[in-house]
Amino acid sequence: MCYILKKINRQDNTSKKIIVVAKMEEESTSHANDRIKLNVGGKLFETTLSTIRSGGPDSLLFALSNRFSNDPNPVFIDRDPEIFSVLLSLLRTNHIPSTARRFSKQELTDEALFYGIDSYLRAATSPPPFSGIDASIVDSVRPASEGLPSTFSAAENGSVWIAHGGQLSSYDWNLIHAATLRTHLDEINSICRVWPEIVAVGSESDAGLHFYNFSGSRHVGSLHWSDPSDPRIFKARVNSITASENSVFASFDCPHRENCILEVDKAKIQIVSQLGRQSGNQAKHMVPGKLTWIPATGVLVGSAVTGGAFGYSGYIRLWDPRSGEVVWETNEPGAGRSSRFGDSFSAIDVDVEKLLLFKLCSKSGDLAMADIRRLGDDPWVYLKEKNPSLVTNGGDGSINSLVHCYKGQVFVGRGGGLEVWSRVQDMAECESDGDGEGLYRRNFVDKREDSEKGVIKKIEGGGDRLFISREDVEGIEVWESSHSAGAISVL
Amino acid sequence: MPPFVGSTDSQPRPDSNIVTIDVGGQMFQTTKQTLTSSGPKTFFSRIAQAASPYTPFVDRDPELFSLLLSLLRTGNLPSKAKSFDLQDLIIESKFYGIENLLINSFSQLEPFNLQKSLQLPLNGRDSPSAVATTPYGSVHVAHGSKITTFDWSLRRKSTILTHFTAVDSLLALSPELAAAGANDFSGLQILDLEKGHVKETLNWENVTKSGSTVQAIGSSPEQMFVSFESSRRNSNSIIVYDLHSFRPITEIGHNEIYGADIDSAIPATKLQWIEGYNLLMASGSHSGPSGVSGNVRLWDVRSGDIVWEISEKVDCFADVAVSDALSSMFKIGVNSGEAFYVDLRNLSYEKSSWVCLGDKRKLLNAKKEGFGCKIETQGNQVFCTKGGDVELWSEIIMDSSSNNSNNRIFKKNLMGRVQDMGGARITNLAFGGSRMFLTRKDMQCVEVWQSSSREL
Repeated sequence: MCYILKKINRQDNTSKKIIVVAKMEEESTSHANDRIKLNVGGKLFETTLSTIRSGGPDSLLFALSNRFSNDPNPVFIDRDPEIFSVLLSLLRTNHIPSTARRFSKQELTDEALFYGIDSYLRAATSPPPFSGIDASIVDSVRPASEGLPSTFSAAENGSVWIAHGGQLSSYDWNLIHAATLRTHLDEINSICRVWPEIVAVGSESDAGLHFYNFSGSRHVGSLHWSDPSDPRIFKARVNSITASENSVFASFDCPHRENCILEVDKAKIQIVSQLGRQSGNQAKHMVPGKLTWIPATGVLVGSAVTGGAFGYSGYIRLWDPRSGEVVWETNEPGAGRSSRFGDSFSAIDVDVEKLLLFKLCSKSGDLAMADIRRLGDDPWVYLKEKNPSLVTNGGDGSINSLVHCYKGQVFVGRGGGLEVWSRVQDMAECESDGDGEGLYRRNFVDKREDSEKGVIKKIEGGGDRLFISREDVEGIEVWESSHSAGAISVL
Repeated sequence: MPPFVGSTDSQPRPDSNIVTIDVGGQMFQTTKQTLTSSGPKTFFSRIAQAASPYTPFVDRDPELFSLLLSLLRTGNLPSKAKSFDLQDLIIESKFYGIENLLINSFSQLEPFNLQKSLQLPLNGRDSPSAVATTPYGSVHVAHGSKITTFDWSLRRKSTILTHFTAVDSLLALSPELAAAGANDFSGLQILDLEKGHVKETLNWENVTKSGSTVQAIGSSPEQMFVSFESSRRNSNSIIVYDLHSFRPITEIGHNEIYGADIDSAIPATKLQWIEGYNLLMASGSHSGPSGVSGNVRLWDVRSGDIVWEISEKVDCFADVAVSDALSSMFKIGVNSGEAFYVDLRNLSYEKSSWVCLGDKRKLLNAKKEGFGCKIETQGNQVFCTKGGDVELWSEIIMDSSSNNSNNRIFKKNLMGRVQDMGGARITNLAFGGSRMFLTRKDMQCVEVWQSSSREL
């Protein structure tokens, strides 16, 4: 009789594993088939086939387990045994053992890549779901030269592309430097991921939308806005870029302020159509400084904000790119509740998952929310500040503030301070006011000393990380949630 | 756990007590008794039951297994475990189903050996408002609208968002469940700290039909006590709930304020169950123009009667705590800052029943020295905070012949090393497992004091 431990839900990253102790009424010789001996760099390991195969059928370990199933001698692998023991523990328990600290991330990744279990390692090392109420700075990514980031772009797997000077640096999911490419631009001000290796960039100092490929670090193509019937359309600069499944949308702005949005075919890098062309002679005809594609509804959201001596003005506009029509728009000042007069927005963002628009009011500092599926004359719901100790902090929604939605949470940077508005679970049932004013709770993400490091220039989430760049600070901050208590010894 | 059973035969007979286990390629030999000592349903006892000529194979790390086998044999981890990370051991002990053995090997409080040893940082900018502990040594900390839970090893944490703007009273019902209430929010919420949702909301239907805020929470092994006050602050009550079903059982101490006599109905702001006497201690105070006044009541929960009551006008308490082991109730005077006790075995209704633990001469010092001080008892020790320091009062049992009958002797020590003294004012004090937890004003962390020999 023998006890074999079968691991079910191997890919399930939770620590709750169902462990079945199965009785095997078999001969001792036969159950040896379920076990495998490995000789890694002279050290013997013994494990079960199910463990070694849990890395998936494409892994080297899976292949080895097949080839030598009838061989009584251990399989010899000419690699370092200590790293292997870490990876074997990972396969057995789904946890990285503490002995892994002796090795660098790079070593572990390389070795996991060798055995073909890198996706397994990635699942075990990736941070838990990002929660703004419990996040701290874990790392700082700083390019080696020209370290002031002009903009950056985070991806779903936790990797990040940083534009600094005219260079583009790519950092992989481990935040290890993968590649740097030099573009022909002096400064990159807008960036967008087009394909996993291809980036679209635009600059405030140079005309055109440019595509670069990280593999081979080469220029792939450039596009310019031109109009054969209008010679003034010339040297148009790109202000913002966003990508949908098949297209890239970029807002172009001529020196005489005429502007439009061009839709570009992602595969062919060709201009498909032009939408929202406007003169740019008024605040409500400015070039959109921010574009967001909403995949769920197939709508493009553009917004522009200008701040002047008489306060802020701007617009939010929704286009349907198929028809080129404006679906909904709002201009401030000029729209909205009369009680909110003179309190136009200074920043907006779109929660593309929950289909919500968020705006930050410039004067009161309040955050307002609008449901994209139910937009009307005045769709805004102003979120209530319930914490009396935080109320005094309001009134600062100035140019240094920005809004970013990530994982159903709304991050607001006010100067150097970072706060999060998070949804309280089943709050709707308890609240008597039905319009959702109390749905979100405001909390600070950072500590006071963090906020003194510099004014936040950009916030972007990706792969359960939040990346933040600050004015005149080299590199970008990486925030993560962690289940580790992080106890500090004071003995 | 007999260390030697049978012979140390390398070839055990089928009926032998010796069990051989192959863990990750390494052979271990132990006895059935050792394996079954982990409990009837655990992984090890199943292996022991099925002892056979074949060696069971366990696909786990052999080094960690050897540590846990030592734990099974002796009840303690071997010293070489220090070179391993506790988190690895916890995961491994969970796999084998012996995490409780691991917890028990760390859970003895040594009051005289406590040292400030760890700081658990909290994210965000809110200072802790309430702390609750479980007997296993895990701790829940409320800061702002969030509650962060640290597990018994203080290695892992999780944070949830609550409906409260700040949690004022918090009680741990289990490592995953806590009761939370606030002075400015209606209702007591039973929170699932793992999933972050409200399991149940308990409200007190008061006469004025206004909301009911929570002033204090306490519990006995079977019941939970909640002190509610109506939002209009004109009535209050203590409701007794069943600790498992959260059904209300009875209501004790219902007070209504009529007219101007606000002293008649001070809500209880501390509830403590006195197991040895089957009584509930409820204390509450408020400051008025003539200084702080308050009362302490001992309730018989079954009958709903007050067994003993004292009203405090002069040098009212800043905090009250009862020690079962010492059969005494302790308070800190809000004016004097001195600690007092009253013996529960001979309670009287005289005002002078409080006996000062220390120097009596400073009794009527008008400064509010004791304001904000906390007092807690743990076993037969009394801990009280003064500003940023913790005092430990312990009773000295003298030989009866040399002692005149009534006066008990308590002596105090300031806790910690010189470098630990002072610091910001202590706002919360709690005990769990072998540790003391405290939070300080404007500090976004929890301080952990533990004995150095039990250091994790």
